Amino acid sequence: MFISRPSLFASVVWLGCLTAVFSIAVLLWFLWDNSWLFFQQFGIQTLWLDEWYPYEHLYGFLPAIAGTAWALWIALIIAIPCGLAAAIVSSEIVSSTWQAWIRLSMEVLAGIPSVVYGLIGLWLLLPTLQSQLNLLTGHSLLAAGLILSLMILPTIMLMAQDALQGVASEQREAAKLLGLNWNQQLWRILLPQAWSGIRSGILLAVGRGLGETMAVMLVVGSLDKMPEPFYNILEPAQTLTSRIGREMGEAAFGSLHFSALMACGLILAIVAVFFSLSAQKMRPTT
Amino acid sequence: MKIILIILAIPALLLPAACVLYIFYQALPALNLSLILGSDIAVVGVNSIGQSILPQITGSLLMMGLACFFALPIALSIALFHAFWAKKRQKKLLMALLQMLQGIPPIVYGLCGLIVLVHTLQWGISLAAGAVILAIIILPLLSNSLIHAFARIPREQTDAALSLGLSKFRVLVRIWLPASWSNILTGLLLSMARALSETAPILFTATVFSGITWPDSIFSPVTSLQTHIFYLAQEGSNIQAIHTAWASAATLLLLVLCFSLAAWYLRRYNKT
Repeated sequence: MFISRPSLFASVVWLGCLTAVFSIAVLLWFLWDNSWLFFQQFGIQTLWLDEWYPYEHLYGFLPAIAGTAWALWIALIIAIPCGLAAAIVSSEIVSSTWQAWIRLSMEVLAGIPSVVYGLIGLWLLLPTLQSQLNLLTGHSLLAAGLILSLMILPTIMLMAQDALQGVASEQREAAKLLGLNWNQQLWRILLPQAWSGIRSGILLAVGRGLGETMAVMLVVGSLDKMPEPFYNILEPAQTLTSRIGREMGEAAFGSLHFSALMACGLILAIVAVFFSLSAQKMRPTT
Repeated sequence: MKIILIILAIPALLLPAACVLYIFYQALPALNLSLILGSDIAVVGVNSIGQSILPQITGSLLMMGLACFFALPIALSIALFHAFWAKKRQKKLLMALLQMLQGIPPIVYGLCGLIVLVHTLQWGISLAAGAVILAIIILPLLSNSLIHAFARIPREQTDAALSLGLSKFRVLVRIWLPASWSNILTGLLLSMARALSETAPILFTATVFSGITWPDSIFSPVTSLQTHIFYLAQEGSNIQAIHTAWASAATLLLLVLCFSLAAWYLRRYNKT
């Protein structure tokens, strides 16, 4: 009686946990199984073929992978300096009332749904790019990168600010006692101390940017072609997420095309999980 | 150096307000009462753009509510397992697993849901499929916040209660829930905001653009605010459609902000 009969409460909790494990395992197994079918048929070399014509059974992943990488790079190049500067300004320069307001506004920015960003991109950013840079429609990797940078800015900024606030006040006092001026304090004390937090914020942002679908899908143009030449970011292109989003509706269930999309999803999931796990690992253990 | 930093930071400081204001500015022409109380809500579709978006709002909220209804008990049992039964290594593994699940992009869950729920289980494009997928997407977030809420309760209180001979269930109901309800509510509100703003995973699994106003049962398709914006945004030639899209965007933003600002307020309330 005392040993082996679990209480009703315990069994309910176990049931809940098992449901979670079971349903997630089923989902991931189906993802794996379907994309395995695809890789079995076409082999791993599809990753670096550059032609994607589903109706002729040509499945090359390179354009979408290159597009994803480009959009992410542009986003990071813009968002990292901006986000870091905003974090430093809000935690080191302005008063704490302003700091609370800046934080709140960043959380508002983080809360805007991605499809609304897509709407802004489609009806504000694309016409602007089109008229400023003389493009055909404005659909381009540059637009995708700009929208993405807006979306990952809050992640970078909030994590960096947390990290800066976490620097022990003894360190700041010691730096001041040594007579370091503000710049030296920033570069020698604050940034090195906060670096691990900042880095994990950036990695999280990379993970989020990889998986962002709606906004990118609306502005990137969905043209399956390598950028020509490879640094041309002003032409329509394709990312992994926008490909899934655009073609999921038209691919017949069980067809090779569908499996190919699943393979896109699998690649995306593996890379995103890698980034978010490394963000977790590098987070300071406090 | 300070000047350079401030100049670099200006876009980050101004953009949030600019974005929100721009959305409302664009939504202004279509943002009136007929948006909610529009006369003809029987047919929602391209032909009747400019009509009420009440069905869309209901659909979004319904899906969000169902998702939380599915996710909450499961997240609660994960958190309780973490608090009562898990050993140190199991706790670590559990946290890593949750982190991994949170890292998987939502659209991948959408793909899996399309295969498993819509095709294999034959639920069809339905409210239930969308709700289950959203539930799985918010599960890591919700479990994480519940785990942290329980972890914040002083160890002594739990020990005292257990040594008084209370069962674990009693400890939960009498000690933990009263002590941490506001933290739990914060987590729940944030998950609701998340569920409300996800679009990609429900695009092909739960929603249709036209032909539906109210779902008949949980296995029938719905319309939702998020996907409505997506479809309307691409109606390039129809100016009325774009106005409605902006108005829907403003409505969605307001709904999401309601939840996330409530969570923000609660968090401040907890701190003081």
